[in-house]
Amino acid sequence: MNQKRNRFAALLGLLAAGTFCEAETLDVEKDELKFGFIKLTDCAPIVIAKEKGFFEDEGLQVEVIAQPNWKQLLDNVINGELDGAHMLSGQPIAATIGFGTQAHIVTSFTMDLNGNGITVSNDIWEKMQENDPDLDVDQPAHPITADALKPIVEEAKDEGRLLPMGMVFPVSTHNYEIRYWLAAAGIHPGMYTSTDIKGFTGGDVELSTTPPPQMPATLESGKNVAYCVGEPWNQQAVAKGIGVPVTTNYDIWKNNPEKVFGVTKDWAEENPNTHIAVTKALIRAGKWLDETDADGNLINREEACRILSQPNYVGADYDVLKNSMTGFFFFQKTDKREMPDFNVFFNYYATYPWYSDGIWFLTQMRRWGQITEPKPAAWYEEIARDVYLPEIYLAAAEHLLEEGYIDEEDVPWDTDGYRPPTDEFIDGIVYDGRDPIGYLNSHEIGNKDFL
Amino acid sequence: MADKRSDRIKYKLLKSLDISGFTVFDPMVRLAFAEEPKKQVKSIFRFLIVPIIFVFACIGLWWQVAPNHKTKSGEVPTPDVVWRSAVNNDTFSNREKTKESDFLLEGPEREEALAVVESTILEREATLETLRTKLSGHESDYAELLESQLAPLQAKLDTLKERNDELEAVAKEAVSAAAAAIEAGTGTPQELLEAMRKQNEIKDNSRESEGMYKDQIDAIRSEKYKPLEQARMQVNTVADEVQFLKKRTDFLSDSNRSVRVAEAKEKLAENLKSLEEATTAKKAETEAKKVLRSEASIERLENQQYASAMTIYTQIKRSLFTVFVGFITAAIIAIPLGVLCGLSPIAMACLTPVISIFKPVSPVVYLLIFQIVVGAFFPDPDSHPFFLFINSLPFIGGLAVNPALVFSACTVAACAVWPALVNTALGVASIDGDHINVARVLRLGFWDRLVKIIIPSALPLVFAGLRISLGVGWMVLIAAEALSSSDGLGKFVWDEYQNGSSLSFANILYACFVVGSIGFLLDRMMIVLQRLVSFDGKGTSL
Repeated sequence: MNQKRNRFAALLGLLAAGTFCEAETLDVEKDELKFGFIKLTDCAPIVIAKEKGFFEDEGLQVEVIAQPNWKQLLDNVINGELDGAHMLSGQPIAATIGFGTQAHIVTSFTMDLNGNGITVSNDIWEKMQENDPDLDVDQPAHPITADALKPIVEEAKDEGRLLPMGMVFPVSTHNYEIRYWLAAAGIHPGMYTSTDIKGFTGGDVELSTTPPPQMPATLESGKNVAYCVGEPWNQQAVAKGIGVPVTTNYDIWKNNPEKVFGVTKDWAEENPNTHIAVTKALIRAGKWLDETDADGNLINREEACRILSQPNYVGADYDVLKNSMTGFFFFQKTDKREMPDFNVFFNYYATYPWYSDGIWFLTQMRRWGQITEPKPAAWYEEIARDVYLPEIYLAAAEHLLEEGYIDEEDVPWDTDGYRPPTDEFIDGIVYDGRDPIGYLNSHEIGNKDFL
Repeated sequence: MADKRSDRIKYKLLKSLDISGFTVFDPMVRLAFAEEPKKQVKSIFRFLIVPIIFVFACIGLWWQVAPNHKTKSGEVPTPDVVWRSAVNNDTFSNREKTKESDFLLEGPEREEALAVVESTILEREATLETLRTKLSGHESDYAELLESQLAPLQAKLDTLKERNDELEAVAKEAVSAAAAAIEAGTGTPQELLEAMRKQNEIKDNSRESEGMYKDQIDAIRSEKYKPLEQARMQVNTVADEVQFLKKRTDFLSDSNRSVRVAEAKEKLAENLKSLEEATTAKKAETEAKKVLRSEASIERLENQQYASAMTIYTQIKRSLFTVFVGFITAAIIAIPLGVLCGLSPIAMACLTPVISIFKPVSPVVYLLIFQIVVGAFFPDPDSHPFFLFINSLPFIGGLAVNPALVFSACTVAACAVWPALVNTALGVASIDGDHINVARVLRLGFWDRLVKIIIPSALPLVFAGLRISLGVGWMVLIAAEALSSSDGLGKFVWDEYQNGSSLSFANILYACFVVGSIGFLLDRMMIVLQRLVSFDGKGTSL
């Protein structure tokens, strides 16, 4: 291990230009920072790092500012109004490859795993129960696939309608997850093409963008019949009796990456020490959020929920936030389940920026046509290496280890950046980040590349 | 003599009421000076008491109607809930102020405050404990209540389900029998179809009858249990307070500025000591570096300010500032252009198409245009000299001026410029011919004519235009702020919408009253200005 550490010291020497070696505050280039976030529970690491004083410990004064939508958030990071922000995992990648707004965004920190759900309207849920009587009990078996939804989609199509569904942003995890869930049951969610930037082409349903807070209202008004969104908007639908969450992304892909902390490449290059200091504070926040007692109960989550329920942060009711954050999830009023891994902020090396995570998003962008041209496997890796900065993460972790805030086993020190291949998807297809083309070709629906 | 003086005071008061447009209070003043008491009392009753009763009746109606209107996305809050949200916002703002002063507190005062806070925490935690027990009591009550209400329905549903299952099984059997009969050559397709139709019918019937019970069960489940809700609210209020108090202890101890400075000074002393003890050149160099860094960090800490969250009051201030920046810009553009148009028919003809096309454009479009245009001027707003200068000014500096504020203000200006422009042009163009003739007779030069004749006689209309402009600007601003995430009342409303908490609706209504009241005051301000310059003596309507 020591050898590895030495190798690291060399790497850091380059990065932090000699400031390493000292277990004290880094020489930050900029000490007053502004970070943006969207009002969702998974902005927690940024909020906690501020409220628990982890940023202050690094000598940083941070202002945390709510943004109205993902587009504005990205624009504000690009134009320098914000130093960094809570971003959808797909956003830095899409910006770097130029889908949507073109800008080189990088990330050194994954904020969390899981945390989304797919909710259908009461009406659709009833019809799904008709199609599959096994669902017509108080606590149906999970995972619930879209198989029972397929006849409804087809019936609507026969009547000349496409069922309208919602997701939050074209390059959001939510978009890929609901598409994955539908496609796994043979429902075509529609393709993006160079002329169809809405992604409706050839779809059996109409999947459009709706901002998160509006989701429950669209379900109630019938504008959407299903949606995929982060918390608290699924629990809100249960609490108000508007819809039924049928599945969470934990079932679609166990422990999938959700949000990242993004900054522009220029900012990262101008402020290398500040970047490390920020990452340090965020890692500590992640660790604090996932701290458990001897019985494995999350001990800090209630406090976290109280903080998040303040109006300047997420602002939703404490009682609603608490549901998903403290290890429970209501699928229906009668179906409360323990989901200790609904939000993961630190365990399973959650915060490490894995290349393989970035490549998964790239495969989905290619699968649904957001990347219009076929690309070789090497390109996928190259982009992932352009966007993900594990070296910053490891530099920060090294400092934290020395200061005694984290343990040796908390960080994958000697990884090559790829998680081991996994088949923990709802359709059981194996994903190996080293073989993006093979993964792309193993799906029935979506683009396939034969290079 | 005395009478005369009181009369003078009376007329002054009446005049100021007249100028400010609050003529409804006239009778009160007159009554105070004992002028025709009977008549005054009558008009006080008619124009003051009756309207007040009407307003109260409206509030009463709201109180009655609101709880009856329930949508799933939110209940309409009653006035008391809106009041609670106002109180909450005030508490939030006070707490931010307390945290700030805690951050800056020094010496024995800090220790005193810390002791007080710590004892309060213990007190509150005890209360919290009792409240929690009460809550769990209510929870079990509710569970029991629910069980007792649901059990009979559930039992009925179960038996119904059983019976329906039986019926469906029979129908299914009939279908397969009919099918088998076809295979055996004894049945007809009609019989099979008939059996299938019957099966479908039975299925539909059973679904319908089960659905009835399910709906009832759902309705019972979604009914709120008031005592439980209330207990939860109490627990949350106290728990929030405890959390706040704990945060205060933080600000009074570890995060306090003086404490941190003291710590840094200690470290500096240590560093200095080890610098003195250093024997090798290399060691001395690194130690000296450390000393310099500690010195720098002390300086930084000493100047550190508390990064406060936006409260409704700061947001109001920012909104007002933005609207005035936009409004004044609009006035600076509109008045000269308006005068020009009024004077010269050619200028009017040239500008008419421009005005006609750009006047009806929606503020949202302007916002997007300015967002793109203004954004390009400030690639790095934090270190842009313009913002550094503005934010270093007293008073305005505290408002954190940023590009978002600039383009919100530009949007306000773009929307507010038209009424002022059109009215000024109209005012100048419709000057009494006699005035112009007088100017001719006196052989006044252009400037004299402009300053002495044209502008004074156009002023009432100019001010009428400005008044409309300010109203338009204030309305537009809220939308611009909401969309551009520029802090202010618009962002407050938008954030509340995004929060989706149980108080969100109430907060939005609260903001509605705040925005309305401020708009009313701004309008009144403009009326006063208009009256001061207008000499036609006519009243300006509401």
